[in-house]
Amino acid sequence: MEKMKLKLLYSDLKPELEMIEKELEQAVDSESLLLNDASLHLLQAGGKRIRPVFVLLAGKFGEYNIDVMKQVAVPLELIHMASLVHDDVIDDSEIRRGKPTVKSQWNNSVAMYTGDFILARALERITEVKSPRVHEILSKTLIEVCRGEIIQIEDKYKLDQNLRDYLRRIKRKTALLISSSCELGALVSGTDEKTAAHLRRFGYFIGMSFQIIDDILDFTSTDEELGKPAGSDFIQGNITLPILCARNDSAIYAMLKANLKKELTNDERLEIVSTIRNSSGIEEAKTMSERYLQKALRELSFLPKGQGVKTMRKIAFFIGKRNF
Amino acid sequence: MNGASGMKGHQIQSKILSMEVEILNAVHQRTLDQFTEGPSVKECRLFFLLLPFLSGKTWSMEIESSAKTVAIVYAALHSHDQIREETPIVKEQQLTVLAGDLYSGIYYQMLVSTKNIAMVQQLATAIIRVSESKTSFFEQKPRTMDEIEKAIIVIETELLMSFYNFYGYSEYAQLAKQALLYLRYAEELERLKSENFTHFLHEANTILLDKNYTKYWLMEKLCNLHEQITMSITDCKLDYELEQFLLHQITPHQHRAEQLTREG
Repeated sequence: MEKMKLKLLYSDLKPELEMIEKELEQAVDSESLLLNDASLHLLQAGGKRIRPVFVLLAGKFGEYNIDVMKQVAVPLELIHMASLVHDDVIDDSEIRRGKPTVKSQWNNSVAMYTGDFILARALERITEVKSPRVHEILSKTLIEVCRGEIIQIEDKYKLDQNLRDYLRRIKRKTALLISSSCELGALVSGTDEKTAAHLRRFGYFIGMSFQIIDDILDFTSTDEELGKPAGSDFIQGNITLPILCARNDSAIYAMLKANLKKELTNDERLEIVSTIRNSSGIEEAKTMSERYLQKALRELSFLPKGQGVKTMRKIAFFIGKRNF
Repeated sequence: MNGASGMKGHQIQSKILSMEVEILNAVHQRTLDQFTEGPSVKECRLFFLLLPFLSGKTWSMEIESSAKTVAIVYAALHSHDQIREETPIVKEQQLTVLAGDLYSGIYYQMLVSTKNIAMVQQLATAIIRVSESKTSFFEQKPRTMDEIEKAIIVIETELLMSFYNFYGYSEYAQLAKQALLYLRYAEELERLKSENFTHFLHEANTILLDKNYTKYWLMEKLCNLHEQITMSITDCKLDYELEQFLLHQITPHQHRAEQLTREG
């Protein structure tokens, strides 16, 4: 439902996104039937395709040529997909988007090789782009995303971490790839430096807002809405913003501390979810997300008016108002 | 510029070691160093990556940098081979997944820093083939030992071959393929003896019906490959020191001796 609403916002891009979807299918085509099945399984589980959308929208500020834009849009989505397959191994996830993950449908090894295969396809494709700057940005992003994931594992179960740790983590985990999507879209369409910088910052702020809201939704949505158990972040030891804000209440802090690293029953899980949901942590996290959203909108105000800005603004508002 | 031919054994060893140190420095990450076994940088792979240099062929900083990236890709893919099926997954395993991903990012960045985008493409294509071959061990379709061997050759040598092809060192391809396959089979034989079965051994035991037949199959392969390696060394016109280093340090042939000793 959420995804449908979001897709309506960028219906102007429908033909281009359909073309990108076809390209994604072609990109994961393999001589190995198993790799083909696993990659298509992941591709057909859907996804918001938010990274290609931002690439295309950023391209609207320069010389927009879909054949050039897709050279960046497709690899970026493939990189995101590859990271999801490996994340599911790291998090031991059985379900993603309501469907079995590659690791649960097959096994960890197949998931590892599928991720390697998809990432290699992404790099194979991106080499069609000759601009060294594009590769500098993308390679740096790839490394930073990994470092963010490593830090996330270091920070697991650390209830006493500070806000800066969390923000640094989500920057690398989510915001950077969205930020790079905007910047690379701008670069390959030949926008000026200033415009590219505003787009990069817009992507960064929207990425931060987006991740904070995802972290809120982990507590405020139902299992069905999420396509996975609510409170999964806490179960996996990921200390997210709602928890960081809610822990200021000593009773909540004690409850969280007692349940960290514990094998939780379903009732215990639901009780934790409910406690966080009814705490001030949700509102405080929303405020933080709203701040990032405003910063993102401010960046848009520096850009030339037009359909690109309009759609980006709509997407930004949608992200800010996702159902809690 | 040309590489350094006529090196003594200890100089060859020293060159390999210094390359290994540079690779370890390039991929160093505090948490990964602490919790994972670190990147697997095999001496035999470094030897073959450096072989054109050691033989005095045309060599440059860019080529040396590319050779390092190939070794890093081997390490990246090797990390992902270490992921087991146990659940729940432990921290070391989680970090091993990320180690492989980080090494992939590093190899890409290293090639980008020397503007070598064409090599990124070469290696990406090789990784695709390696991933396909590795996945073939999980496909439920019957195949012959020859087909399995083809997959193993791709797994062991495709990255190196892409490096050779890219820089015009194809004259070493045959020797490198034989030697890397030889080493893989030697490892498989050791695992078979200790009953530490790999996907290859499981499949071989099924096809050949008994692990003893697998053992004989491997021993025969090792003997044949060793003969081929000796002939390829002659074809490649390696100098004496290099030849001795390869035969004694990289591919020492013990398997025939073991067999003869056991058979009296």
